[in-house]
Parts: sequence; structure tokens; C-alpha cells
Amino acid sequence: MKFPLLSLRIPFLLLWFLSLNLPCLANDWPHWRGAQRNGISEEALPDKALKNIGGKVVWKAEIGTGFASCSVVGGHLFTTGHEGGHDTIFCIRTADGATVWKHSFPADLGDKFYEGGPGATPTIEGERVYLLSKWGDLFCFQALDGKVIWKKQLRDEDEVRVPTWGFNGSPTLVGDTIYLNVGSAGMALRKTDGKILWKSDRGDPGYSTPLPVDLASGPALLLSNGKAYLAVERETGKKLWSHRWITRYGVNAADPIVKENQVFISSGYNKGCALLKIGNGKVEPLWKNKNLRSQFNGSVLIDNFLYGIDGDSNEDAALKCVDWRTGEVRWSFDQCGFGSLLAIRDQLLVLDHKGSLWVAPASPEGFKPTSKGKILDGKCWTVPVFAHGKIYARNSGGTLVCVSW
Amino acid sequence: MNRRAFVNTTAAAGIVTQVPLLAKSEKSGKKYRTALIGSGWWGMNILREAMASGTIQVVALNDVSDDALEVAAEEVQDLSGAQPKTYKDYRELLEKEKPEIVIISTPDHWHALQTIAAVQAEAHVFVEKPTGHTIQESRAMLNAATRAGKTVQVGLHRRIGPHHVSGMEFLRSGKVGKVGMVRMFVAGRGGKEQPRANEEPPKGMDWDMYCGPAPLRPFNSRIHPGGFRHFLDFANGILGDWGVHWLDQVLWWTEEKYPKRVYSTGGRPVRGTPVLNESEQTTDAPDTQVAVYEFESFTATWEHRRYAENPSEKHKIGCYFYGENGIFHMGWRDGWTYYPANSRDKVIHQDSQLQQPDGHNLKLLWQNFIDGIESGKETVCGLESSHRSSVLPMLGMMSLKLGRSIQWDGAAEKVLNDPAANKLLKRDYRGPWVYPEA
Repeated sequence: MKFPLLSLRIPFLLLWFLSLNLPCLANDWPHWRGAQRNGISEEALPDKALKNIGGKVVWKAEIGTGFASCSVVGGHLFTTGHEGGHDTIFCIRTADGATVWKHSFPADLGDKFYEGGPGATPTIEGERVYLLSKWGDLFCFQALDGKVIWKKQLRDEDEVRVPTWGFNGSPTLVGDTIYLNVGSAGMALRKTDGKILWKSDRGDPGYSTPLPVDLASGPALLLSNGKAYLAVERETGKKLWSHRWITRYGVNAADPIVKENQVFISSGYNKGCALLKIGNGKVEPLWKNKNLRSQFNGSVLIDNFLYGIDGDSNEDAALKCVDWRTGEVRWSFDQCGFGSLLAIRDQLLVLDHKGSLWVAPASPEGFKPTSKGKILDGKCWTVPVFAHGKIYARNSGGTLVCVSW
Repeated sequence: MNRRAFVNTTAAAGIVTQVPLLAKSEKSGKKYRTALIGSGWWGMNILREAMASGTIQVVALNDVSDDALEVAAEEVQDLSGAQPKTYKDYRELLEKEKPEIVIISTPDHWHALQTIAAVQAEAHVFVEKPTGHTIQESRAMLNAATRAGKTVQVGLHRRIGPHHVSGMEFLRSGKVGKVGMVRMFVAGRGGKEQPRANEEPPKGMDWDMYCGPAPLRPFNSRIHPGGFRHFLDFANGILGDWGVHWLDQVLWWTEEKYPKRVYSTGGRPVRGTPVLNESEQTTDAPDTQVAVYEFESFTATWEHRRYAENPSEKHKIGCYFYGENGIFHMGWRDGWTYYPANSRDKVIHQDSQLQQPDGHNLKLLWQNFIDGIESGKETVCGLESSHRSSVLPMLGMMSLKLGRSIQWDGAAEKVLNDPAANKLLKRDYRGPWVYPEA
């Protein structure tokens, strides 16, 4: 499937210089957790990166305080940060880090127990960019120039309650619909004008990004709220099932991971993780333990093994490999601290909390890094992205770096 | 770079008496029937240590939030295999469970009523610092515990932390010389604060009970969870939170029992004027505060900022004791350090020994509490000394509100020649709650 797309790349490359009006390409990272929504890039990691992961920081940009990640389409990157009472979304040229456009609006920093700033990543679809702020501002921008096509304040809806740390799940686009983790069981809006198609009862959402999946019952959306992980019908918002999962402060933040009729869920604050079996509107745990406690960054699943960070930001967190089938720990590696990771095909790319990148083959036999390199200073909790052969990573203070080889 | 060599912990140990391991109590082997009032983050930190010590059996948990109760009960069950009972009203808990120990980890404005109710229900109490929210509440707590003959430990765990104990020995050894001034400080980050929209309280939360004796205000996620310290209806800002720890160190060090004059100034130049209306609110505690405590033999100052942090300072938090011979810094995670004025003398340092992840000394403090219950001896952070330490931030806040210095008669616990100030020794409670009489 990749090859026909690759063969189309040359004409598209020409178009990139003309506009952003492009379909998504295989090497794009158009939204949170990448094109496949699983934190795994299908692109190949350059051979040089295997030996010199630190690569070269080719440019840096300052985007303001926050924890949002990046979305990359073609030659443009979209991200957001906070400074001086305003959130700003940036469109940045990936070639040199220059700002193509930006848009600012008033927002509270929201620095409760941490630095604050936006947590949701902008989502790119077609020629448009969708952004949800912590406090319920929803924007649709023209990707080319940042013109606001429409915007709305979700708090105007009676059903909407802002959770303690604000909205941090990114918008999910499927077809003509925007899905948001807003309300007790999500919300759907028409992408052309923001008209609400369905909404759920008032209640605290979780902090995960809506995950579209096709269950046996049909097209569904997996969400978290303050007390559960749950599934709803995409078309109607009708609840399919809900698994009670209560965590201190209502922080169910990591995106669920789905394989066939099984769903992996995980939360921090010493809550733990579980593998749920879905069938006939029923949900039952196959196993549950405290082996992989994801405070907010999700794990990646490669073959039958989960790779992720276990533990909270204020304790001794560790990178772990957990067997999907049994929940048993295959190995634990404690030198990355409270980091984050993505996979590039079968290579794990880990950004530790102090700004070093590690690369190692994903293997249940152990974490054997082939290289390591420092790319950022400060606190690094945000998962980097990989697109078109480059890595983009940020720290909490708002330094964004592009790493190349 | 400092020309003077840095002496490490091992070298310092030769100079400083080793921290004695706390003598274990005559192990009664007893497991005290224990209840927790306020089952959030810090309450569970205390309860976890208490459970790990093997001295308790958790019989009940109290919180105004169903969610907090469920999360805490699940953890207690995970740790002990036993399911505690849960209550949303602490009065019902005390009446039905008759616990032998009550841990209180609620916002400051609740400490007095709950501590008094617990000692009157024949329980020993471990209560979080500071003791009260206004001075006469704190006095009423002390009197009630004394009358009931119950042991109380206040969560001023820095009095028992190993580096605090050894640092205090060093200070008292005279090596620093005559100390004329103490400077206490803490700084954080922050900027202009935008008002946040009020919300209805989360489902299953008894917000009226949360506010309790304090004015009822709209729910806002800035307040709960974990934000009450920055709202003066519920606590006394950073001075009442961090300040009480360092002021407690000062009173531990000095032989004087109280200052004779207190002055404080400050405000919210960075965060902005507080907002509180039907639709939105901000915090209202000062982002900037300086307080001066004038003692007979020395002057102590407090300063905090909730912006800019402390990048220009080697030590980010703590207190400096300025003596004739040099400067002694008592810190937190950075232990203690003595900087002699004479450049030929060596810097002396000792590392901290804290429990992670939150950097406290609750294990030692809990053991000392149980020892106090079993021996009848005063605990390290008993109510008598903790009351005196907790009064100091409250005096600072009184001066800040009044905009003038106050002369303090510590023996009578009255402000001299200032009726307006004396009115601030207590406050009106929201009915049906009744201000405790000393």
C-alpha cells in the first residue's frame, strides 16, 4: 500500500511549494499519535540515525510553555504553546523553522502542579487545521495562511464541563466529522462549520484523544472520562460499553490500544493497567495489574508486546516491555526516567525527561540502545514525532527542535 | 567557582553528631484502629506510611468526595487486603467507628473543628500543618487536646528530618557564632492569572461540606483538587504552607517563644487583582509577600514570590541563619550547608535524607507519634510547639491585611493596643458551624 503512494511523491513534492492543499501522505504525521493513531511511524529510520540518534539539531524555534506535540504535513509543522496570557498556534516551515503564520488568543496558563500551557495537539485534515484549547475554544483554521474559518466556545453548551486540567485530548477527524473528548462520553461536530451533531451528558471527560475503531458492532469511538474507559457509536454517540476505571484526580489520559476485540487501558497515580475483552456490548477484563501505569503518554504495541513508560512524573519511572497476552513484564529499563516514546517501524525512539533520545530495536528480549544523543534541555514530557525523515521534539518551556541526519 | 573546597557528608559527619536512629517504642505490637479524614494526595501519603509501619489497622476513610473515597479505599484494600468503611461526614465516622487514631489532612479551615471533635471522641490525632486557620482556632485545638489528655502530632515533619536534626545541632554548637538575622524564602513560577470559569461541583462531591465553616463560594477547579492554599478563605497562602515549616525551624532553634513585633507587606502585582463572581474566579492569596518577625535577640524575615523562581540563587528554598562567623543554610532536598565568613575555612555540608517521591520525613514522624502515644511523652511536633509555630504565619497575614505592624503579646496571645487587629484573631463561621471556644 505504501508503494503506490511513494510513486506519487514526486509530483506532490512540487505541489508542496505551492500550497498546503494536499492529501495526507504516508510520511506525514498529521495528528496525535500519527497517521495510524498508534504512535508508530511506517517510515524507515535513516541508517545514520541508528548510530547517531542525537543527529543534528538543524533548527530551534520557541513556541511557548506547554505539552502539545506536533503535527506535520508535507513541509509544514503545526504546534501550540502559551505565553503571557495567550495560547498561540504556530505553522512552521519544516525546512528552516520559520514561522509561516501564527494565531493567538487569550487563555489561562493552567499551571496547576506543573508548568501548564496547552496539551492538545493540532489536527490537520485536508487544507484545514483543528485546535481545541484547554478551556474549550475550538478553532478551524485554513492551513495555508491561518485564516479562521470558524471558531466556537464549547463551554457555551450546557453539557460541557471543563475538567481540572482542561481539555487535553486532540480533535479526531473521520470523514466529515470532528470527534472531541468533551462531555462525559464525547462530542461530534460537523467539520465544515462546527455544528454539533451529537453530544453526551455533562460530566468530566478524561484526557485521552478519541480513538476511532471498527468494532464488531460497527464504527465506534473509544474515549476516557473521569471515571471510565468507554466506547460509543460514532454515528450517534450512543454508549456501547463502559468499564469503570477510577483514578486519583480523574486522570485517565493515555489513549487506549486496540487489537482485534481486545482493548488495553492504563492510568498513572498507581492505578495500573488492564486488558479488556469486548463482545456483545459486554466488556470483561482478561487481566489487570500495576505493571504499566501510564500517567499520560501512551504505549506502543508491536507484535504481542507493549512498550511504554511505567510510573508518574514525580517518581522513579521506568521504560517497560509488557506481554499483551498475560500482562507480565518482560523487561524494565530505568535510565529513561519519566520519558515518552514512539516507534519507527520496529525501532523504539525514546525521549527521556531530560532531553536525550535513545534508539533501540523493539524486542521482548531487552532494551539494547544502539545510540543516544542529547537534543533538548529542560523538562521533556511530550512525545516527539517523526515525519519525512526528521524528528521534532519540544520541552515544557517551549523550545522546539528539528533533528536531522 | 568557590575557591573553598566543599566538604562532603562523610567529612561533615566527623564534626556533626550522627543523627541518632529513633529509639523504637516499647513495641506494644498493638494495631491502632485508625481513620483518615481528608483522603486526598497528602492524606494518603500519611496513611501509606502509617500502614507501612505496621502500627495501624485502617477502619474508615472520610472525604467529601465519593471519587476520592473510592480511589483511597481501593488503595487501602490493595495494600492491606481489608476494605475500610467510607464516610462523607467526619462526625458520623467518629461516632460509629470510635477510632483510636485519627489522621486529619483537610484544608486548614477544617483542622480545628475536626481535631477538637476527634480528641473529644477519645482519639489521638495526627493533623496536618498549620494547626489552624485563625489564631484562636489553634489555641482551642491545643486546649481541647490538653483537656482530653490525647496525643497530637502536627505534620511539621522537618523537625524530625535527619538533616534538620543534625543541622540544628551544628547551629547550636556555636560554630556559626551569634546569629543576628534569619532569612526564610521560597519562590515559584507564574504570571498573570486569567479568571477561570466556575463549574458546578463534580458529581458526588459535597461542596457545602468542603467549604464548611468558611464562606460558600462557587466551585472552581482552581480550588479543588489541591489548590485551596491559594484561597484565603481556606488557608493562608504560601506563608501558611511553606512559611510555617521554616518559621517552625526558627522557633526550634531559638529559646524565645514568640516575636514581639510583626510586619508584613505584599500583594498580587503579577497575578493581578483577585476575581470572584458568579461566573469565574482567580486565586486570592498574595503572589508577593515579605514578613518581618522582630524577636528580642534577632530579626527573622520571610519572603516569597510566585514568579521568576530563584535562578540567581544557589539555594532555591529554605532559611539562612546569619551568624558572626558565617552563613548557615537549612534547605530541603539540598540538605544543609555552612559557609564560613573566613575564606580559609572550609564549607561544611550535609545531604538530606528524605522519603521519595515527595521529599518528606513522615516515616520518622509517624513512629515518634506512636512512641508518644505509648510513652505519654510529648511528641516532636506536639500541639504546644506547633501552635506557636502556626501562629506566626497567621500574624503575618493579619499585618498584611491591616497594612501596619502589630505588637504581639505572645503570653496573652493578644495584639497590643489594636482592637481591629484583635478582631482578626478569630473569624465568623458560616452556620451551622460554631467557632471553637478556647
